[in-house]
Amino acid sequence: MNLIDAHTHLPGRSFGGKPRPIADLRREFANAGLCGAWIFTTDGLVMEAEKNNNILAEAVRGDRDFFEPFGTVNPHAGEDAAIRELERMRFELGMRGLKLHPWLQGFSLTHPSVKPILQRAGEMGLPVLFHDGTPPYSHPLQIAAVAEQVPSTMVILGHAGLDEAYEDAILACRRHPNLFLCLCGPSCGPLAEIVRRCPVDRLLFGSDGGFGSRVIETAIAKFHAAGLSQKTLQTIGCENPRRLVPKQPRRTDPPAQTHQHET
Amino acid sequence: MKVNNWHMKIVDSAMRLDSMETDGAVPSMLDEMDRFGIACAVVAPADAAVAVHNVAGNLQMVDLVTRYRGRLFGLAVANPWFGRDAVHAIEGAFARGLCGLFLHPRRQGFRLTESIVQPLLETCRRHRKPVYSSTGTPVCAEPFQLAELARQFPEIPFVMGHAGYSDFWYDVVPALKQASNLMLETSCQVAGVIDGAINVVGAERVLYGSGWPRSSPAVEIQKIERMNLGAAALRRVMRENAMKLWGIRP
Ligand SMILES: [Zn+2]
Repeated sequence: MNLIDAHTHLPGRSFGGKPRPIADLRREFANAGLCGAWIFTTDGLVMEAEKNNNILAEAVRGDRDFFEPFGTVNPHAGEDAAIRELERMRFELGMRGLKLHPWLQGFSLTHPSVKPILQRAGEMGLPVLFHDGTPPYSHPLQIAAVAEQVPSTMVILGHAGLDEAYEDAILACRRHPNLFLCLCGPSCGPLAEIVRRCPVDRLLFGSDGGFGSRVIETAIAKFHAAGLSQKTLQTIGCENPRRLVPKQPRRTDPPAQTHQHET
Repeated sequence: MKVNNWHMKIVDSAMRLDSMETDGAVPSMLDEMDRFGIACAVVAPADAAVAVHNVAGNLQMVDLVTRYRGRLFGLAVANPWFGRDAVHAIEGAFARGLCGLFLHPRRQGFRLTESIVQPLLETCRRHRKPVYSSTGTPVCAEPFQLAELARQFPEIPFVMGHAGYSDFWYDVVPALKQASNLMLETSCQVAGVIDGAINVVGAERVLYGSGWPRSSPAVEIQKIERMNLGAAALRRVMRENAMKLWGIRP
């Protein structure tokens, strides 16, 4: 199966980790059964977003046929600075999406910068993937409340609510057409229920690959244990992520767009 | 999928009834056990029994344990908010052979550290029964809250169900270190956390659980298998610790 993982991390120095060569990571991911991965910074979620955006872009530069990098910004930097970095990472670094982690980055979804950041991301065609499933800053309905205000931005709950809040995530997904669930984290019972109750074209496969050992194979095992059909797996694991982040014609070059081209 | 090819009969410390309709849940549970070489399982009642229909839930469990002797073992339930009735419910259940107490703070509406649970724990101490609690729910079922109870009742073995999954993973090992009578149940939590706990507190404090139907033996056995534990540690985790803790034999 052509499986794209919509939730992986570049290992860094935070959380007791250590940086790894991208070739190693790619080999590990491919051996586990992936044909591509959306990849986020780890260190940039706890410190120096800009520097870590650069590190991520540089790391995957020669492997853009496999990795789709998602950068991050910190809403506490303020609306102007955060949007400047958002535009820089899109146009200079060629990032394909925005990753936000309200828990680690320590912001509430009600922070005044959040909505403008999401609005701008949507205008630039960047999907926004949130960590979710953990209170007090990252619960599904908190994220859904902002998603509702930016209907043309594609918003992804990166953990589909986890086991404790997956029912909230289901309700959010059914209510908001711009809200997607990445099935990274829920156990196979909740996972089967999510697939049964949500529109299948708004679900994604994810594993937290790169963060912790053997997580991709466990995520794949959960999908099989949840009894999903091959067709469902194909939709979730391949078609949906390709629709949100289309394959670029020449993956080695960052897009040569300027601001005028996309307003 | 190749799981459990080491010819060992597993003792599973974490299965639950799917609903109070026995026949709806038990055949598929037994099927799963057969498919994955699970010799016997310690089973907790379904949500409705855990939250409100305690007595009926315990009777259902006693019935199953009798019908599937040596295959299914059962945990007693009582919502601590029922006070004296809750104590009577678990005393009756223990007298009929159930092997421990199942707590589910999120379903039962209490925090582990609230005093209403104390009479149930005192009952477990009197009857020498272990206590399994689901953990991982913020505010009401956190690893450190269970460790606090384990420190208050050093005579009772406590089991940290689902190992604090999901995002209390960072508290698992520090909580285990606080109380030697606190054991870890492996289901749902990621492999690295279970691995880490075994390295720090030893395989003798870790119990295999399928977490069925929330999780699945297909996922959970493979997870343990790939840790490459030594043969002795694997036997402890998959079988021996549970037999000793619950006082059961397949
Ligand atoms: Zn993640």
